Parts: sequence; structure tokens; C-alpha cells
Amino acid sequence: MTIPSSHLFIQTIILGLLVGGVYALMSSGLTLIFGVMRVINVAHGAFLILGAYLTYWLFQLTGLDPIISIVLTAPILFLIGWGVQRYVLTRLENPERSSVLVTFALAITMEGLMGTFWKTTIRSVKPEYAAEVIKFMTYRIPVTRLIGFGAALLVLLILYIILQRTNLGRAIRATIQDRNAAQLVGVNVQAVSALTFGIGIATAAVGGSLLSMIYSFNASSQTDWITRVLSIIVLGGMGSLPGAFIAAIILGVMEQLTAVMVTLYWSPIVFYLFLFLTLIVRPQGLMGEIVREKA
Amino acid sequence: MLAVNQISKAFGGINAVDGCSMRVERGSITGLIGPNGSGKTTLFNMITGFYQPDGGTILFNDRAIHNLLPSQICHRGIGRTFQITRLFWKMTVLENMIVPVRHTGWRTLFSQGVKKHEEERAMELLDLVGLTQFRDDEAHKLSFGQQKLVEFAAILMSDPDLILLDEPAGGVNPVMIEKIMQLVDDLNQQGKTFLVVEHNMRLVMELCQHIIVLDHGQKIAEGEPSAIQNDPLVLEAYLGSTEHAGA
Amino acid sequence: MKRILFSNRFWLVIILIILLVFPLAQHSQYYQHVMIMTMMAAVLSSSWNILGGYAGYTSLGHAAFFGLGGYLVALAHNYFGWHPFISTWFLAIIVMGIALLLGWISLRTHGSAFVVVTIAMVYIFRLVALNLPEITNGARGLTQPRPGWGGVQWSPEFIKIPFHYIMLLLLCLTILVSWRIRQSKFGLGLIAIREDEGKAEAVGINTMLYKVLAFGISAYFMGVAGGIYSYFFTYIDPQFIFDVFTGVTMVLIAILGGRGTLWGPVLGAFIMEPLGNWIIGEFGGTQIHLTIFGGILLMVMLFMPQGILPTLSNVINQRHKARMAKVVA
Repeated sequence: MTIPSSHLFIQTIILGLLVGGVYALMSSGLTLIFGVMRVINVAHGAFLILGAYLTYWLFQLTGLDPIISIVLTAPILFLIGWGVQRYVLTRLENPERSSVLVTFALAITMEGLMGTFWKTTIRSVKPEYAAEVIKFMTYRIPVTRLIGFGAALLVLLILYIILQRTNLGRAIRATIQDRNAAQLVGVNVQAVSALTFGIGIATAAVGGSLLSMIYSFNASSQTDWITRVLSIIVLGGMGSLPGAFIAAIILGVMEQLTAVMVTLYWSPIVFYLFLFLTLIVRPQGLMGEIVREKA
Repeated sequence: MLAVNQISKAFGGINAVDGCSMRVERGSITGLIGPNGSGKTTLFNMITGFYQPDGGTILFNDRAIHNLLPSQICHRGIGRTFQITRLFWKMTVLENMIVPVRHTGWRTLFSQGVKKHEEERAMELLDLVGLTQFRDDEAHKLSFGQQKLVEFAAILMSDPDLILLDEPAGGVNPVMIEKIMQLVDDLNQQGKTFLVVEHNMRLVMELCQHIIVLDHGQKIAEGEPSAIQNDPLVLEAYLGSTEHAGA
Repeated sequence: MKRILFSNRFWLVIILIILLVFPLAQHSQYYQHVMIMTMMAAVLSSSWNILGGYAGYTSLGHAAFFGLGGYLVALAHNYFGWHPFISTWFLAIIVMGIALLLGWISLRTHGSAFVVVTIAMVYIFRLVALNLPEITNGARGLTQPRPGWGGVQWSPEFIKIPFHYIMLLLLCLTILVSWRIRQSKFGLGLIAIREDEGKAEAVGINTMLYKVLAFGISAYFMGVAGGIYSYFFTYIDPQFIFDVFTGVTMVLIAILGGRGTLWGPVLGAFIMEPLGNWIIGEFGGTQIHLTIFGGILLMVMLFMPQGILPTLSNVINQRHKARMAKVVA
């Protein structure tokens, strides 16, 4: 364990915050989906990578900037997500129990397909500003990280506005709080579920675009990402958007610190450990609600 | 037999049970009534170990049970039925009867699942409720009333001393209600103690020797049926005072 | 539960005889290899079934115990010279002990949360194995001496035969234990937990104890299998053996054949393992493999969630009822 200088320490914290913002965006969709449908979408990591691959593909074909390609990738993934919910998940008899296995199956099928199509080469997207660094006081901040953070915040803000200010958002929040009650007051919970899944996967598209700029990836990266994202929403409280945000920042910072202070190779363990511990010590996470015991 | 002392339980700001104290005397049939939301089921859940109380104690035969697991409480001799009947739906009626048998150690754990003497006892109890012919049918195939009877018979397998009944007459036809009342009475004669949550006032007044009334998580009255029926506090809890009636 | 059990002892004996003479009659090394892997898959899915099928707790992390068994046996072989065919049965007890502890911690969660915890468990094991090279040799993995006995290496023509028989022994033991559990109060309790855990608790079943025991017992057989596996291939490394995919395969096999039944997992293994080997042979590479396995799991969960055996027995029951109705009418 190496204790970093205070300069390196702060630099690491800054990077952790920036990356945490992106993690927050990536997890927002997952926690929303859980809140509305009580489904743990283990395929979320695969959708992130799909978004990343689409961004990469568009960039290779047309040189389209990863941020701009969101305009294309988000609707595509929205439709795919909507379709998956509408046609696959509704077929399940007991969604709460079997959704993990089914989405897991979906994840590995997607991993296989993406790996076949794009091969196993490690990819990343390098726009012209990829190597640029902004100097803030004495700290060096990669431009891609900054843009990523900015984009993430923007999308999270949009998500927040949708949830708080629109009718759809109200319906979504009602369904999260009490599915039956929402149905009783006239909310079409099936439509809300399908739409929410679509929105959730669309956020994965944005997350994937940012991912492609900041990290390198291939099809099998999806398992690293789903673990990260799952740990975040578990820590934050499944179904809680603010919780996911806070947890993402915490875990982002902890990951960076571990990489610097211990070793890069142990840093993934931060996520696994937090996941394990949270589920055991405080299963409702930081801000979730205790699911009532069956009595 | 059962002493509940200053027990409370809050769910995120709502005090479901708020400093409630009550006793159940051995050999009695005690009723627990109150308007919806008064905390009856929450109290049941705490007595049977499904919820941990935030404060207070529960003593059964002078031993604390409020921090035990439900299975341990069952072994101490308390059985309960559920408001919405719960059975092992895909198991047969007989298997449903066998599961509650108290096993006493490692050897019994790995021993034969359905033993002769257990099967005999199960059939005896099924005979008591008149359902022997359904022994090999899967539980979900029975009618609602029959399922309730099976649930009741099954908890008798572990020979509990105190039986908690959560709305035994809920959604059941009058003939079945009579049957259930008769069963409870017979078992009570044999020495079993009952604590019954019910909304069916006739059942409560006829069957119970002692009644406890809850409202907003606290005990507001207790006594014999005749006293409770005329208690103004009780009437107000159920019907609201005359001032609110118009609004 | 009305199920048509293969109570026909005759068929059981026939199958046993076939398995016993198989390696002597079938000389192709490829088929001998596939048979061994098939039996191993049956062991893994049957032992998974004890927790996952009877009790209904889906664990995707059992590869952790499989790998642990492999590592312990390899280490014991390299450092103490213990022969895996003997040591694996004892070292698996250590695996079981660790599983009991981990089970006691992780079985406080339920349903989907539990699945996620078990996934985390495998990855933690992998990270530990990767980052403790002094013990595990890190990413380079552990090798063992080529299989043999008493200093004599087995010839390539002969080599698969002992493995076949020890795997057959393990399979028989696993099935025996699984059957015994199913018949016992323990098994009845596990099924009660699957049907309605709260109710099971209410009628006096110490659900935590039952679940932890099931977790541990299933881990034992995985550990033994892992030990034999590491010797069979003479090599293990963390990336490969501590993988959720290994865990998913055993789950898929159990579900396909009939989760919660005694023979379902075995049937599933005898279908999927040869099929999987064929796919790898034809198409090579892991990507297609992933796609096909994922696709099959998806299809099974959507269209035949009970698995083959229960679906079959339902069909047979319906026909039987129809016939009886005609007779009575």
C-alpha cells in the first residue's frame, strides 16, 4: 500500500469524481428498471457494450463524433429495450425470480453475437481530442473524462426532469412506489414498464458512447461493467436514482484510490467487495427501502 | 401465558404499533379486534417473529421470544395461520401436514420424510376437519374454505399450546364459519389457548371469552364481550365519533 | 407431487452396466473424453440441484467451489505428493467448510439478490487467485504431473479409463445423496422453502440451517469434481476455472432437464455436454459457444421453464387422466 502525495491524492479524487458521474449515468437505467419492474437486468452491461460498439462502428464508418452519435444510438437502443421488455420479459411467469437468469442468458447471447460480429479485438474510439488534457490549477484532466462527466450530468438532468415534471415521469414514480396502487388509479403499468425499460436501455446507449471514448473494450468486457453497475445500484439502494448517483461517486473514487494506492489489478475487487458486503450488511443500500418480510 | 409489554413497531414514520401491552391467559380464547390499520397483524407478526419490535418485550411462558426466529418460536409452542391462507400449493395435502412436524435432531433431519406414525396423526387431524379424501391432492386444487381448514389442521401437527388465528372467518361461508368455531371450541376444551384476530363480530362475541381492542397501535379497551360491545371508546374507534360522522 | 419417477430399477441397472463397460468397449479417446465430461457435468448439475432445484435458490457461483477443489488438489499434489484420486475426497471437505461459512453469510439474501451475491463470490475468488501468485502461481495457473499411479505414468491409450471410473463413482455417490435428501425430512423442508419460505419458517423449519447445509453439501461434490478435473487436464488457471459461465452451464443443464427433479440434471447433462462438444468441434471459438448456450437458456426459460422431465411427466399425466376419464365414463 503506497500513500500518495497530497497532489496525487487530489488528482485521483478528481478523476474518481469525473468517472463516478459517468458510472452514475450508466447505473441510472438499471436502477430505474428495477424500481419499476423489480427486474434485475443483468444484460445491462451487454447493452452498454452494444452502445459502445455502435458508437465505434459509426465512428469507423463516418467519423461521427461519439457524443453526436448518441442521437442515433439512443433511439435504436430505446427500441431494442422496449422490444425486449414487451416481447420477452412479459412472457415470464415469475419475473422477480426468473428475470436474473433470463437477462443473464440475454447477456451471454449478446456477448456471443457481438464477439462474432466484431471479433475479440480490443476497441476504443479516439476522436481528435482524445489525447488532450486540460490543466486545472496544477491538475491534469483528460478532455474525454470531462466531456463524459458533462454529458452524463446533462442526461441525468434530463432524466430527472422527465421523472419530476412530466406525466410519464409521474406514472413511472407511482409504479415504482406501489405497482398495484398505480394500476388502481389508472396507470397502464405494462406500457410504463415497456417505456421505462426502453428509457433505461437508451441511457445505456449514452453510457456506452462515453465508455467507448474513455475505456477500451470488447464483447467480454460486459461482465466487468455489469458488476460495476450492479454494485453501484445495490450500494445506492435498488430503485433509487439519487442513491445510484451517490453510490456511483463513492465507488468511482474508491476504485481510483485503490488503483493508485494498492495496485491497478486489485481495484476491481472494490466493486465485488462492496456488492457482497452491502447485500449482507445493509441489503437496502444507502437509500433504498426495506422490502417487507413476507409475513 | 403470553405477555406483551410496551411493544412498538414503526415503518418509516408510521407507528403501526405504539406502546401496546396485553396478556393472553392460558386456556382462553382471546379476541383481538380493532379497525383496519390498528396494528393487529403487525402485532401478530411480532409475536411470531416475522418482525423485530423496535421496543418492548414479548414473553411466552415467562421466556422472552421477541428476538427469536419464527422457527424457534414455532418450536416453543406457538402456531399461527395467515390472513391470506398460505400452504405449499404444489405439495399434496398430506405433505403439507407432514412438513410442520417438529424434528428433534440431526438423525431425524435425514431420516425418512413421511413416517408411519406421522402419517397416522396427519390422517387423524384431516379426519377432524373432514378432509381425509384429499390427502393426495395438490393443495392448490382444493376450494378456498378447504384450504383454510388444511392450514389450520397442519399447524396442529406440531401440537402448539398457543394458536394465533388471523381472520379465520375471512371470505368463508357461514356453514364453514360454524365449523371453524366448533373446532376452536373443542380444541379449547382440550386445553389449547387461542388468540384470534377477526372482523366478524358475531364470531368474536360468541367465541371469545376475553377481548382486546386496538386502535392506532395501542390497546384502548379490553374485557368481556358484553362490556366491549357497549364501550364508547370502541364504538368511536370503529365508527368515528358523532362529530366526524357528518364530515 | 405426482411425478413419474423412473422407479423402474431394471433400466437403472442397464444404464449402470452400459456406463461400466463403456470405456472398455469404446476405444475412441474422443468419445471417452466426452463421456467423462458428461458425467462430470451431471455431477455438477445434480449437486447444484440440491440448493438450486430443491430449495429454489439459484446460485451462479458454484464454480468457486469447483475451482477451489481443483486448486487444493493441485497444490497438495505438487507440495505433498498426494495422489488426487485419494486426496480430492478429503480436500473437498475443506471446500465444504468454506462453503458453509460463505453460505452462512450470503444466504441472508434472497431471490435475485442472492444470485448477484454468488456472482460476486466467483469473481472475488478469481481476483484472489490471480493476485496471490506465491500460492496460486497467478495467471499462469498450476500444472500437475501427468496422471499415473505409483510413479508409473499412464499410457495415452489407457489414461482416460481410470478417470472414467472415478467420475462414475462420483456420479453414483452424488445421485445417491441427492436421492436420499429428496426422500428425507431435509428434502421436504428444502422444497417447502422453495414453495414458500416465510411459511416454512412459520411452521418450524430453520430455513437458514437448511439452506446453508444444502449449500455446503452441493459444494462438497463440486470440490471433488474440481479436484479430478485439475488432474485430468493437468492444468488450471483462474480465468478459466473461476468463471460465472461454468456456473451458468450447470444451471442451464439442470433447468433443461428439470430443475428440482432427481434425474433432470443428469438428463440435461447427457444432452448438453455432447452437444456442446460437438458445437465447439464444428464452429470452434467461444463466441459461437456463448451465443448458442445463451440462446438455448433463453429459449428454455421462456418456453419450457420447468424443463424436460416435468413437462414430459405432465404430458403423460394428462394422457393418463384422459384415458381414465374415458374408462370411467
